[in-house]
Amino acid sequence: MSSAMASTSANLEPLFSFLAQSYTTVENGFNRIPGSAVIARYVKSSHQNDPGRTVLELVLAVFAIWTLLQSRTRADKDGKNFIQFTEKEIDELVNEWTPEPLAESLSPQEQVELDTVPVFAGAQGPRPKLANSGKTVLNFTGTNFTGLAGNDDIKNKAIETLRKYGLGSCGPPGFYGTTDVHLDLERDLADFLGTEAAIVYSQGFSTISSVIPAFAKRGDIIVADRGVNFAIQKGVQISRSTVRWFDHNDLKSLEDVLEGIEKERKKKKAPLTKKFIVTEGIFEKDGQMVDLPKLIEIKYKYKYRLILDECISFGAVGRTGRGLTELFNVPASQVDMLVGSVANGLASCGGFCAGSKYVAYHQRINGSAFVFSASMPPLLSVSASEGVNILRNTPSILSTLQENVRLVRSVLDRLDCISIPSHPASPMFHIHVRPNTPTLQLPSASGGKPSNPNSILPRDPPQFDIELEERLLQDVVDEALTQGVLITRARRLRGQEMVEARPSIRIAVSAAFSKKECEKAANVIKAALVKVLGKRR
Amino acid sequence: MALNPPSPTPSMFRKKKSSSSLGPMSTAASYLSAVRAADARARARGDTPLTTPALSLSSSVTTSSEDTILDEGEESYSDILTYPSIPPTSEQVYTTVHSEFGHCSNEEYRAVSQHPAGKPVAPHVEQDPPYYVLFTTYISYIILILFGHLRDFSRKYFNPGEFKHLVPHDGYAPITSDFDSFYTRRLKGRMDDCFSYPVTGVAGRTIVLLERESKDSNRTFAPTGRKVRTLNISSYNYLGFAQARGGCADAVEECIKRYGVSACGTRVEGGSLDLHSQAEGLVANFVGQEDALLCSMGFATNSTIIPALVGKGCLVISDELNHASIRFGVRVSGANVRMFKHNDMKDLEDLLKEVISQGQPKTHRPWKKILLIVEGLFSMEGTMTNLPSILELKKKYKFYLFVDEAHSIGALGPHGRGVSDYFGVNPRSIDILMGTFTKSFGAAGGYISGSRVIVDRLRVRSHSHTYAEAMTPPVLTQVIASMASIMGVTPALPTSTSTGTITKSRMPEPEVPEAYPGRALSSSLPTWMDLPPAMREGTEGRDRLRRLVFNSRYLFRGLKKLGFIVYGHDDSPIIPLLIFNPGKMSMFHRLMRQYSTPIVVVVVAYPATPLVTSRVRFCVSASHTKEDIDTVLRASDYVGDVLDLKHSDGERWPLERIMNSAVELVQMEQPSHD
Ligand SMILES: Cc1ncc(COP(=O)(O)O)c(C=O)c1O
Repeated sequence: MSSAMASTSANLEPLFSFLAQSYTTVENGFNRIPGSAVIARYVKSSHQNDPGRTVLELVLAVFAIWTLLQSRTRADKDGKNFIQFTEKEIDELVNEWTPEPLAESLSPQEQVELDTVPVFAGAQGPRPKLANSGKTVLNFTGTNFTGLAGNDDIKNKAIETLRKYGLGSCGPPGFYGTTDVHLDLERDLADFLGTEAAIVYSQGFSTISSVIPAFAKRGDIIVADRGVNFAIQKGVQISRSTVRWFDHNDLKSLEDVLEGIEKERKKKKAPLTKKFIVTEGIFEKDGQMVDLPKLIEIKYKYKYRLILDECISFGAVGRTGRGLTELFNVPASQVDMLVGSVANGLASCGGFCAGSKYVAYHQRINGSAFVFSASMPPLLSVSASEGVNILRNTPSILSTLQENVRLVRSVLDRLDCISIPSHPASPMFHIHVRPNTPTLQLPSASGGKPSNPNSILPRDPPQFDIELEERLLQDVVDEALTQGVLITRARRLRGQEMVEARPSIRIAVSAAFSKKECEKAANVIKAALVKVLGKRR
Repeated sequence: MALNPPSPTPSMFRKKKSSSSLGPMSTAASYLSAVRAADARARARGDTPLTTPALSLSSSVTTSSEDTILDEGEESYSDILTYPSIPPTSEQVYTTVHSEFGHCSNEEYRAVSQHPAGKPVAPHVEQDPPYYVLFTTYISYIILILFGHLRDFSRKYFNPGEFKHLVPHDGYAPITSDFDSFYTRRLKGRMDDCFSYPVTGVAGRTIVLLERESKDSNRTFAPTGRKVRTLNISSYNYLGFAQARGGCADAVEECIKRYGVSACGTRVEGGSLDLHSQAEGLVANFVGQEDALLCSMGFATNSTIIPALVGKGCLVISDELNHASIRFGVRVSGANVRMFKHNDMKDLEDLLKEVISQGQPKTHRPWKKILLIVEGLFSMEGTMTNLPSILELKKKYKFYLFVDEAHSIGALGPHGRGVSDYFGVNPRSIDILMGTFTKSFGAAGGYISGSRVIVDRLRVRSHSHTYAEAMTPPVLTQVIASMASIMGVTPALPTSTSTGTITKSRMPEPEVPEAYPGRALSSSLPTWMDLPPAMREGTEGRDRLRRLVFNSRYLFRGLKKLGFIVYGHDDSPIIPLLIFNPGKMSMFHRLMRQYSTPIVVVVVAYPATPLVTSRVRFCVSASHTKEDIDTVLRASDYVGDVLDLKHSDGERWPLERIMNSAVELVQMEQPSHD
């Protein structure tokens, strides 16, 4: 090799002498530049008699400079907006700057908000003991719809699992955090619902906020209900997709919005992007229920994918608690991404997304709350599996639940100081204060004009006095508690929601109550409502 | 569980050296017979040595130390993973199952993690590989990409059915286009057998793989039905609390009996239990802050609580290597974000000067607040944040500091209280300390802690507190029990009656808890929680901390001496070993898994790391014994030779020397990187 080199170099003698000459000129020029010595030393040391290395470093340097220039977070020093300051000015500005406090202390009202949060001493269940008073109450809060909290079979399974798996999984699913019981739960959920596959997340609330951005990216289109819950709002926000809103639980409005988008796309000749409809099965905000068959029809007609949040409806409606798809007898496989929670109806902790194999697989790589978080503790996974098993084999749970809901609703529906927006079958329903003076809120108040789909706010947002209504409702809650029935206002992140929800009392009915208890509670709540709201007149 | 014969200084492991002449033995049968003999001797000697009050506490007391060995009859197991190489003598009593938490009674194999007071924090230097490694790495990627495109191209034309889901069809845009999914399909796909390996059992010192195979180049996997017990140097089980037996698991069992499995509701609407308040108090105590707030998922602790701290008009300054959950939270918050070079204090200061003097973009109004978010211990790098320097900068630049201690809490510091403990700084000089329970505590979920004002504000404003399901009772119990055992409990022993059963009445307690980092008040634990004495006294917790540090330093320095390029801090339990070439990653994984003592490792590559610095990441645990670390070193040595990975230019020692001078290696002065 070296001899070959020698012979070639002999042939190229004149070229070399020329190169050497020009090299010296360049070198002399270079040496005159201040600071060149440093660079020369650096190049020499990195060169180490190895031309390959220098070439590589050069390539790397170019690459590095290029990356730096590309970097989005680079200091925009040369931007139009950059003001050049001297060191002294900077120091002054730094000294002058006083930040706002990281957190304001609570207002008295907020303090009350915290102080009125119920805390149980001991187990959750239909008849828990309150920590502050030691009183045993009938519990119409929480999400124990199926009454599986405290179920002995689940407890035994959980202990068995504990003794085999320990508690924590100590790793994300990608790195030895996937145990056979997680795979079992995924299979159980998929089987139960009738989808190809499912994927479980370790928190129900975070599931949909991660599912939406896993699929919907910048440039994609999301059409969402104006009444969606907070987690969906966050998921939509983080996806950076184009969002259009339709009127709350109004599928006619949905169709109008979809038509509008289609027209716009045709006009602009925009390329085909992913399109999603995002809505809830039973709405967290008011307990309304979406007309699933109609929704499915629309999504097929306009070729949208459907992301359906069934966090409340799964384990709450349907013959065996499969949720809306069972209630309406729609194959779950027609819902592209069916998101649910195992923390509510199944009395465990975590969430899932069911769908096609590809939908589940895609999230295993792109669902950030799945990839970057430890998998759920195996015993919670087994508890959820056992919950599915119990629901599947005991349809009486759901029929009892429905019976209880009917009992409570039959007492409360007739009250005229309140309104209940929720669907009659929903075990979680909301009570609104009926406005004192019936306002002129006729359906035609908007003049028949549709709301602007670009904004989540409807054209004529309902007016209500949050502070006043919250106070009245809290009085109702306190009054019911004196009679041994625990209910709660729906707690909201006021000021952080995209649209403020009307203040409400949220009642959660459980299958674990006897008929008598339901009747008693309903009458207590009724009396409290009449007592507090009746006074107003 | 095992029995602690009465002893003046109860400790988790009795130290007395073996008087038995039993040599190392390799087979299960010989081991068991030795144990049985030792057990019989112990019984014959003592007058019922098993009925100390301590014993009756535990719900799963057994009378034989065979229980400290778990043989679940996997079809393939490696003896040294299930049976200690040296069986215990009658005097050595272990309270753990060897395959979950290794038996190691040698007090020399312990060390303390602490930053020497006053010593400046040395900047971390990342050693570069020889250029041919970089060169071949780039070439490998180029080849991979070329071949990938070639294959895509041919598939598209010759087998379009397979591509259907990647191109528009029936009026639907594909979920991922062929372009977006290129990396996943063509690069990651080749090494998918290294990821998401299904396992069973405890993620402790060892873990059982459910063996799988792929007949279609990793597109699908089918279980072979075989179970393989492997040495687990991958789980975030730093303190070894991933255990199915022991005080924590007993407490959790008791809790499930009392509380069931779920809290069934959000924290503000009927999902709050007394256990939540107890755990929050204990966490605040543990980390040295006024108050704490829990969240049922670690990821959500960041993603749903950061938006409650900052919003429009605020600036978040974030280390470029911060975790995805932090980025998620920052993005949701709507605050502006600027990043600085990983752990580079100079870059950070320059950035601070710039952002404060320039103010908000366009308007130049001053920022409402600036929040600096860093991780205590970086999960891919093993580097520690330079806390002392940041606190210096904080004084001058008045930003707020948020430290994500997901990996550092429990794992660092002489008392296990995280980076502030490690550097000996007052935790209250940090505004927000966040951490997770999924790692050191073997539980799930996370916490956020700070002053009472901040935490109360978060109780009102954070998304998860209002809308997410509350943490479940079993998880809370694991958190309380494990944390209390690291802290120790005062008074250490509840009053007991002469019959050996514990009464629920407790001794009068001091009004105020011990100063940070002190013990937990007995009254702050649930009354029904009866931890075994070694946990209440804190001896077990201390032992875990010290074993972890020994193991971390030993593996880190051992790998260095073998000639590997490793990143991170000497005391970090996360040890990334640089591999560079993408092709070697899966080979490393496979060779380790097929080693005579199978070892499972985590390999990470782009996009989790920069393109060239693919690595294998070891996560050391207190549950490992020195022999386990030896095994890892031996295997790495072998694989490193096969794959040509030893590119470090420091001093090298032969394997034997490293293993023989482990203690010396660990006690060496920490080299200052200059
Ligand atoms: C720095 C950091 N923060 C947060 C998390 C999320 O924690 P968890 O797994 O408990 O959801 C992780 C987990 O990997 C992490 O490394």
